[in-house]
Amino acid sequence: MLIREIMNKNITTITPDMKLSEAYSLMNEKRIRHLPVIKGDKLIGMVTDRDLRLATSKLAQHPFDPASAVQNIMSHPVKTIYPSDPIELAAQLMREMKIGCLPVVEASKLVGIVTSTDLLDALLLLTGINRPSGRLDVRLPNRSGELARLTNLIAQRNVNINSILTYPEKDENIRLVLRVGTMEIKVLAEALCNSGFKVIWPIHISCVK
Amino acid sequence: MCQIVYNPNYKKYNLGDTHPFNPIRVEMTLDLINKLGYLKKPLKPESIAPDLLYEIHEPSYVDVVEKVSNGEILKEAENYGLGNLDNPIVKGMAEGARNQTGGTLFAAKLLLGNKAKKVLQFGGGFHHAHRNLAAGFCLYNDIALAIKEMTKAGWHVAYLDLDVHHCDGVQEIFYSDDKVMTISLHESGEYLFPGTGWIHELGRGLGRSLKLNLPLEPFTEGDSYLDVLNGVVVPALSWFRPDALVVQAGTDAHFSDPLADLMLTTQDFERIYRRVVELADQFCNGRALFTLGGGYSLTAAPRIWAILYLIMFGYKVPDKIPQNFRKQWGEKISQNIPEYFHDPEHAFKPIPRKEKIVELNHELIQRMMDAVVADWL
Repeated sequence: MLIREIMNKNITTITPDMKLSEAYSLMNEKRIRHLPVIKGDKLIGMVTDRDLRLATSKLAQHPFDPASAVQNIMSHPVKTIYPSDPIELAAQLMREMKIGCLPVVEASKLVGIVTSTDLLDALLLLTGINRPSGRLDVRLPNRSGELARLTNLIAQRNVNINSILTYPEKDENIRLVLRVGTMEIKVLAEALCNSGFKVIWPIHISCVK
Repeated sequence: MCQIVYNPNYKKYNLGDTHPFNPIRVEMTLDLINKLGYLKKPLKPESIAPDLLYEIHEPSYVDVVEKVSNGEILKEAENYGLGNLDNPIVKGMAEGARNQTGGTLFAAKLLLGNKAKKVLQFGGGFHHAHRNLAAGFCLYNDIALAIKEMTKAGWHVAYLDLDVHHCDGVQEIFYSDDKVMTISLHESGEYLFPGTGWIHELGRGLGRSLKLNLPLEPFTEGDSYLDVLNGVVVPALSWFRPDALVVQAGTDAHFSDPLADLMLTTQDFERIYRRVVELADQFCNGRALFTLGGGYSLTAAPRIWAILYLIMFGYKVPDKIPQNFRKQWGEKISQNIPEYFHDPEHAFKPIPRKEKIVELNHELIQRMMDAVVADWL
């Protein structure tokens, strides 16, 4: 999954001379939290609702006047990302920098924006919950051919797999969360147990102590 | 003023001998009532033309379902959820689905025309069918079409789904509709199909707080089920005051059902159905339309649906299953048909987590009330 698939293309931008109070109204009106600051066609900074609130708070040592320009408080230089980058790169960057959004830049031009909400939407899509399905959680030994054996068994029953998520466990095992498009999920889970797979969820069918 | 609706052409909706959604379940039910001597002559509905379904489904979806059902091979069929274990492509299935959908629509018209106060439709209940997606054994959403018929006439309709699976198709179709309240009691989607039906799914826009979901813990028993039913459905109906109640009476919440894990007994179903009929009388102008639905235990489903029939027509549930019924169908399905109508006492081993389950389910009542209180003024 690439940034261009999940990014927001309708971007609201502001200029560096915009007043803090105007930026605040704009965020409220559009119900957004991030405003890229543009000079010419160049991205020069980023203002968030938190930046505004902290800068103008009475609790600040030297609160900014609501009439001052956003260029005084904007974050810069800005961390950006490319449309062709994978989404996990955005997640890594946002996590490491502790920021909630990344402007997307192509050929030095701002083409989109990705926020933590977009990443949550992507996570929902990755889990396959958007299509009617049941959920299976299976522990696999970390060696080649195990996943193939599992998906083969499911394919033999003509059951469609909506999504597969995998992640490593502390030991050498791999965990697999599948969403499968069938009402007969209980029957399927039992069949997988009988074929030697360690089904962890549904818990009452689980063959793992 | 009770009527039953059935046409033998419903049997055309047959997804194969090994498929759980087996028309034999309905045949057995009717024969059981007949052998008891209580079967009233059913009203026989007509099938409907495909274009009537455009009210609910995308024309392109109906077109693909009809074509593959006629034997055409279409690559795009799989995009519409067709051609897998749950929804195999079987010749004539579209016609069969339309036959049953026609029955549910006919039942709605009986209520609308004041020809009946209570109707039991011996088919239908395809609550997983979406606008453009077949799922969970369902092709055409007969329930949605029937409800739409009633709201077009100006009625408010409450829909109560007793099937063990969440009614995702019906809920989605009416998600922003302020004329339709949907209430679903089901086993939680923590692993079970379709994975939706969480308590926070409350409807959108004008439909907000009119879509109620009560996801019950696996291994929920009858007392706890009735606790939640009474705790939420009574205030919901008394507030909404619908013109009619539509009930999807799937029986797969029975403890012996192979596809799910709720633990209702036939005695519980009797209590639930009596309560639902009371609620229809009290809050819904006495009007109720019951459809069938899920329920995949061949030895349980016919008994439970027969109980529903007996309650609607005011007969007492007899002690025993007629001997000739047991013999005839026992041989046919190669299973032992129980001697008694009701399940034995202590029909299953005590549930170890029972106390916790009861507590968690009971909490649902307050959580639901807290969630809707601002809108239910």
